[in-house]
Amino acid sequence: MKRVLSNKWSIAVFVLPTVLFFTYIVIIPIFKSFYYSLLSEIPAKVGDESTFVWFKNYIKMFTPGRRNAFPGAVLNSMTYAALSIFVQLPFSLLIALILANGVKGESMYRNIYFIPVVISSVVISLLWQRIYKDLVPAIYDGLGLALPKNGFLGNKDTKLMAVFLPSLWQFVGYHMLLMYGALKSIPSDVIEAATVDGASATRMAFSIQIPMIKPMLKVCLSFSLIGSFKLFDTPWILLERSNMQLPALSMYVEMFSNHKYSYASAQAMFIVFECLAFTALLNLLFRERDDRDLTKGRGRKAA
Amino acid sequence: MKKILALALALVMMLSLTSAFAEEEVVTLKVSSIWSAETEANRAPFLKTLEEFEAAYPNIKLEVEWYEANAWKETGETLALSDSLPDVFYWNAGGVLWNLVGSGDILPLNDYLTDDIMARMEPGLLVDMTFDGKVYQLPYTKAASMLYCNTELFEKHGVKIPETWDELIEAVKAFRAAGVTPMALGGGDQWPTNMYTDIIALRFVGDEACRAAYYKDEGATFMTQDWVDGMAAFKQLIDLGAFPEDAASLTRDESEVPYFAGEIPMYYHGQWFSGSLSPEMQQKVVAVKFPAVGKGYDNQFMGGAAEGFCVSSYTEHPDEAFVAAQFFAENLSKNGYIAGAGLPAWKYDFSEYTDLNPVMAQIKDITSTADSMLLWGNTALTGEDATLIGVTVYEVLTGELTPEQWCEDMETIFE
Repeated sequence: MKRVLSNKWSIAVFVLPTVLFFTYIVIIPIFKSFYYSLLSEIPAKVGDESTFVWFKNYIKMFTPGRRNAFPGAVLNSMTYAALSIFVQLPFSLLIALILANGVKGESMYRNIYFIPVVISSVVISLLWQRIYKDLVPAIYDGLGLALPKNGFLGNKDTKLMAVFLPSLWQFVGYHMLLMYGALKSIPSDVIEAATVDGASATRMAFSIQIPMIKPMLKVCLSFSLIGSFKLFDTPWILLERSNMQLPALSMYVEMFSNHKYSYASAQAMFIVFECLAFTALLNLLFRERDDRDLTKGRGRKAA
Repeated sequence: MKKILALALALVMMLSLTSAFAEEEVVTLKVSSIWSAETEANRAPFLKTLEEFEAAYPNIKLEVEWYEANAWKETGETLALSDSLPDVFYWNAGGVLWNLVGSGDILPLNDYLTDDIMARMEPGLLVDMTFDGKVYQLPYTKAASMLYCNTELFEKHGVKIPETWDELIEAVKAFRAAGVTPMALGGGDQWPTNMYTDIIALRFVGDEACRAAYYKDEGATFMTQDWVDGMAAFKQLIDLGAFPEDAASLTRDESEVPYFAGEIPMYYHGQWFSGSLSPEMQQKVVAVKFPAVGKGYDNQFMGGAAEGFCVSSYTEHPDEAFVAAQFFAENLSKNGYIAGAGLPAWKYDFSEYTDLNPVMAQIKDITSTADSMLLWGNTALTGEDATLIGVTVYEVLTGELTPEQWCEDMETIFE
């Protein structure tokens, strides 16, 4: 087996089917979308009437105007990304640390936090729809408070946050489980040594556990960032139709309601570029960090 | 003996051959409908129509796919891109139909429409289904939106059923003062709001100018005082609290629940709503013309023949598909009216049916003397224009747009 896998040709043969399939369903469509995004808007199926307009669709995307919702949509997705990184992930980490340090009923809590991830987003959305439309008004009524005009999902000032909350809540368990797994795989001798040295739980978390699960934190960060830019299902169901307040929603409406295939392709390409750019940025940040840590470590060794 | 046996064998073979030839070839047609939900008033009539069809045409087998209306609209448009629309399918008339006609997906039916068939259809209903003299769709119903008033609530609170705009405002104020939400509205779905704005605009702007704007005729505009006044009148209703507090986040279904429960006195909606009323509610509710504004457009209505059946241009069995489409249109028209789900688009003697939905009968009578019928804005407009009229009306409802801004935004469709 080892001999087979050390032969580059056999590796190529094994990988080839997947590479071909992946190229066909992922790589080629991306390039095709990019090509479409450079064309003028065409009536469906009358293919040869389109002309190259180069980056006109991209310029249109960011031309300010009251009815151009796309720049606002991008900003909204950035807000959501910031909330994921600064609220959702720390919260997940906190739960993971508490669970990994051993509490009574550890596995039960772990499973409970993970339940929302298992449930389909559609169900989650319908659940939260009932929360916003029935439960919250009942609570407000009971407390004698006034609901925002048109309810949380209809009010222009509250609806985005009302939509972000279920998505943030849903994936806490997912990130928690990833981090919990990483925390559990830290060698026990390290933890024991720290305990013998008298490290407090907080000290242990910040000096040992979090630094040791950094690769997993990076994975969580990437998932969370990319997920934010692609966010679609929960807002689509909660905000009803024709809502263009997030990039993926805008792309869908432009494509399937407005039939602006080229313009929608341009928006799709923007989402792809945005995800790639932020993943690259994240890699860069973590690599710099790693390099710095490495040089620090080497310096200490030399001394 | 051998000879007899051989003869018998030959006879059996011949018999089996003749029976094989005698058996007619069974054709299978794919059909799509939009009445997947049990609550749809047209579901039972359509199921009955399917049964009748199967009995009448045993050699045509139907494979019916069920969708919800919005889902089918999107699915249908996507299927059209790959030339894979079903043989016979439901579609809206007007602009959305024109899209599919333009992309060559729909079969013109002129060659099949005999004088006999045409004579059985109500006159004037093919306006929005005909392009360049070719008929692309057959209507199964005539649409009209109406103001539904719950007489019990009107009597209880001593309010007069409004006939003029001023009376409507008085009624809204009186119900509000009594702690009753005056009108139902499911703004979350957007299009129920368009029902209100369309009819108010029609009263202020008139059929001719509205039609010109919705069909983007040359010289048409939204930038007139009449359009602003119409939107301002809608805004007046919002400001007076005519609609539920959370109207913008309610779906159409959610918004109708309190009306069915007899808690809301007024609702302006399509004629299909009368089919959703319980027999008990049918006795309490009257359908009336939307209040008059006095600009000379008070006997005009929103509606017309807006829905029907089409045959796809790439069907392998155009003859059978036409037979099915025509049968569905004519018989769903009959069954739908008997069930109280819609106004008939085909002539039929209903005198033997004594237990017809009284609200539907009122609508049939009121619209029989209509000056004109105009398709709804979001049906006549297409693509991003239809999205725009939905989104902007929603934004007026939530207070994000003023009536003037609404007109400016709608004017962009002419660019």
